[in-house]
Amino acid sequence: MTITTGVTEAVTLRSVGRVYGTGAAAVTALHEVSVGFRPGTFTAVMGPSGSGKSTLLHCAAGLDRPTAGAVWVGGVDLRPLSENQLTVLRRERIGFVFQEFNLVSALTAAQNVALPLRLAGRRPAPSAVAAALASVGLADRGSHRPSELSGGQQQRVAIARALVTRPEVVFADEPTGALDLRSSRHVLSLLRPAVSVEGQTVIMVTHDPVAAAYADRVLFLADGRVVDALDARDAGASSAAEIAARMARLEA
Amino acid sequence: MLALSTIRARWAGFVGSFVALTLGVGVLSATLVVFVSARPAVPPRLAGAAVIVQSPAAAPDYDTFVEYVPWSSEVALSLAHALSGVPGVASAVPDRSFYAQVVSSGHPDADSTSGHGWSTTALAPYRLAAGRAPRAPDEVALSTRYGLAPGAEATVLTATGPRQWTVVATVDGPGLYVSDASAAALAPGVSAIGLVLAPGASASTVASAARDVVGPGGTVVTGAAREALEPEAVGRTRWLGTQLLTVMAVLAAFATIFVMASTSALNAYQRRRELALLRALGATPRQVRRLLLGEALVVGTVAAVLGAVAGATAAPAFGDLLVRASLEPAGFEPRPSPLALVPAVVTGIVVAVLGAWAASRRAGRVRPIEALREAVVDRRAMTALRWVFGGLFGVTGVGLALSTPAVSPSSSMTPAIFSALTLIVALTLLAPVVLPPVVRLLTVPLRSSATGTVVRGSAVTAVRRTAATAGPVLLTVGFAVLILGMVRTMSPALGASDARALDVSTVVTPSSTPGLSDAAVDALPATVLAGLSTSVFAVSGGRAPAPLDALGVDPAAVPAMGAGWKVSAGSLADLTPSSVVVAAGAAAAAHWRAGGTASLILADGEVVTLRVAAVVAEGSLPVRVVLPRPVVRTHDPSALTATAYVRGATPAEVSPALAGLGAEAQDPLAFAAADDEDRLVWLFVLVMIGMSVGYTSIAVANTLVMATGDRRRDFRALALSGATRRQILRMVGVETAVVVAIGTAIGALVALPALLGVRAALASQTEAAVSLVIPWPELAGVVGLCAVLALSAALLTTGRMLHRS
Repeated sequence: MTITTGVTEAVTLRSVGRVYGTGAAAVTALHEVSVGFRPGTFTAVMGPSGSGKSTLLHCAAGLDRPTAGAVWVGGVDLRPLSENQLTVLRRERIGFVFQEFNLVSALTAAQNVALPLRLAGRRPAPSAVAAALASVGLADRGSHRPSELSGGQQQRVAIARALVTRPEVVFADEPTGALDLRSSRHVLSLLRPAVSVEGQTVIMVTHDPVAAAYADRVLFLADGRVVDALDARDAGASSAAEIAARMARLEA
Repeated sequence: MLALSTIRARWAGFVGSFVALTLGVGVLSATLVVFVSARPAVPPRLAGAAVIVQSPAAAPDYDTFVEYVPWSSEVALSLAHALSGVPGVASAVPDRSFYAQVVSSGHPDADSTSGHGWSTTALAPYRLAAGRAPRAPDEVALSTRYGLAPGAEATVLTATGPRQWTVVATVDGPGLYVSDASAAALAPGVSAIGLVLAPGASASTVASAARDVVGPGGTVVTGAAREALEPEAVGRTRWLGTQLLTVMAVLAAFATIFVMASTSALNAYQRRRELALLRALGATPRQVRRLLLGEALVVGTVAAVLGAVAGATAAPAFGDLLVRASLEPAGFEPRPSPLALVPAVVTGIVVAVLGAWAASRRAGRVRPIEALREAVVDRRAMTALRWVFGGLFGVTGVGLALSTPAVSPSSSMTPAIFSALTLIVALTLLAPVVLPPVVRLLTVPLRSSATGTVVRGSAVTAVRRTAATAGPVLLTVGFAVLILGMVRTMSPALGASDARALDVSTVVTPSSTPGLSDAAVDALPATVLAGLSTSVFAVSGGRAPAPLDALGVDPAAVPAMGAGWKVSAGSLADLTPSSVVVAAGAAAAAHWRAGGTASLILADGEVVTLRVAAVVAEGSLPVRVVLPRPVVRTHDPSALTATAYVRGATPAEVSPALAGLGAEAQDPLAFAAADDEDRLVWLFVLVMIGMSVGYTSIAVANTLVMATGDRRRDFRALALSGATRRQILRMVGVETAVVVAIGTAIGALVALPALLGVRAALASQTEAAVSLVIPWPELAGVVGLCAVLALSAALLTTGRMLHRS
């Protein structure tokens, strides 16, 4: 599904703020963050612990409601949407990959992949599910339960599930956080084609500079604010090192 | 699809609900099958009389039984004569029953305790098998099953004693028959006249014609309405059985909903990350609710069907038990029928869905972001709805407890039980508010140790787990305190200790007979205190006569028997052979005063007017009227003595005299222990407590297995912090013990208002000081059992988990 570039952004945040708790115990996770994500781009969001990067992702994905500001996904303002409407939006336009607990343990890999479509009331063709699993290299593991799969395999099934609905935006929260190097590379190599081939938008939170190097753009957050941005194409071949250096500067 | 997959994969989480529901539906099915099968029936003896005329009904009494005021011999005779003139009537037969038991080889036949006039054989109809109809006073016709041929001698126990009668005929139906003249002498009063119809006559036509003849002097019944003629004893037995069945069914339903609600809540809570994931993937709150309800429906349907099958299979054995406990009439056979089983299955499914309903609503409100959260702290466990309903139930419970004194002690059980139930529900709803402070308070001494601190923290924060474990313990202990306390407080107050009060050395009770005959009583040595039991009816103005239970006592023995009676008007010293002693309530209802007269209809239908010598406080008199013994014996030839008390002779000395008379002698302690009513009450108690403990064990074990399984990460963190396996086990053990202790404390508190209400009701009724008796040993047993169950479940699960990881 191609998206016309330049007219609407895939995801827009304007002056988004998120405060947890009240009174003296209040914690400001995000502080007037305004950022846009163009369609067909791969963005990595990085920052030290407590920088608000996960909160940014949650607000952008409609999982959490900001206490200030506005969020648009695919041109739709999330503020007036009811819980049901948000759910429908998530179903149709958004895909998720979390760090852990991505799969329903009671279902097989194939059933997990088919889940979003079934929740939407559609009956997915078995061939579509099989194709999705094949695209992540797990065509033969469709009838296995998550407990029978390794961490990396589970994440790949999660990606297959996230992509099977052909969403406009895929949000990934530390997708390689619990994986070893080889599995991480494998998972990231599946996210890249979603952007370059399918024209989808991927927004990924990560603390791993190598993972961030797969992205077109890297945003750096600290203390709830966007403090730096790096266009990976500009940095050239040593982008991972450059990213790591920027991160170190933040944490200094 | 998702529901089935979840159940298959996470079946361990559903086992508790499944077992609870199967048991619940099983109990419900068994009780319903018995209830539906135990319907009144037309006595087979009267089945051949298409139309029957009953004597007028007495005024309703405090229980639901209708008693009938007998016609006197003359009235019955003239009525029968008039009825036989109605077109279509072949014969009008007055039905008389008197006490008679055949004694075979020294043992009275317990299956048949009444005899009838020969003409009533036409009402069944039973036919002559051999011989001829009885004519002389000492002739009798017996059922063929006694194995005696015409010409043989039979020993028959009557109200006056054993008689030797000659068998002149055998009959092809059950029972004992004498000549009509003998029957009229043995039972002058008549309660029913059976009409045998001529061939081709229509029952309804004859019935309306009969109604014109009878007028207000009786009721004409045909068809199924003739069930009203069932002997009262049979009806009462069945009523007792129904009480027990009702209690069992209600308790089973309540306990099942309770267990299912708490297990559903815990199950949903443990799955919240997965449910949050579903929400994130696009499941609407409605879809999540439907998922949980769908699971409940599947589990519920399977469990309900299984339970119904189990209940139907167990029903015959259950019926047997009830007959043996004298809670259903002899010969009762339960028949499983759709009428009983379908409602049981439907109720089971409804309960399953209801139990999961609240949990499903909460699950629907799970926010997708919780799929990413790590913390196990229960936030917002209290909702506005819980506050409202918790408060409502609490107020209702206390209100019911306060209203208990206003009802009579015999029916005070109902508001008391409901009070306890509503308070339990209230406390369960308010648990998240009530438990943390209670836990903090109870665990103050634990602060000094490391494991103690962990116990304190986890019990307080994991409110749901604590509540789900404490809840069933609360229910059981609350029930145990209430029921055991009620029974123990009520028995001494309601005078079940007659024997102890009268200071006797031997108690003589009937053995295989419905009562002691005169011969048995006369055979007793030393001083005897005994009375003839009979039923009389108070005549008061134009109202229907009110039934009163009465005792016929020798006037000279009244001062000795009445030592404990609280006379409120008149004096026992004024007693003459034609005066009565009346209980205050009956006197008030019939407008009788001490010194005035009382008109009574006795068992033979005759009206007798006697002087009221004294009025005694309600509750201190064992019956409602005490009459002179000769009056009772004259008017009720079938009156028997229920119990005889002997002063001055031991049971060993008394027994030889009672041989072959259907009586046995016991010492007062053994008698008090075997008292029928006490026995019945204990049976109720055992059933109720047994059932609650059964359910507690399911609930507690299930909760602890599920909850402990969820704490794997906690234990790993503890182990990494340096806790040994022993310390972790000790921590789990202490926490479980604390939670059981809390459940016990709150349960006892819950039962207290209701118990105090019962005590107040008793005190006002008996106008005496009643002290609250709490049976500590039995209570300790119940609490100990709960503790053992809880600890085993928790420690075994923890041990297994530590072993594996």
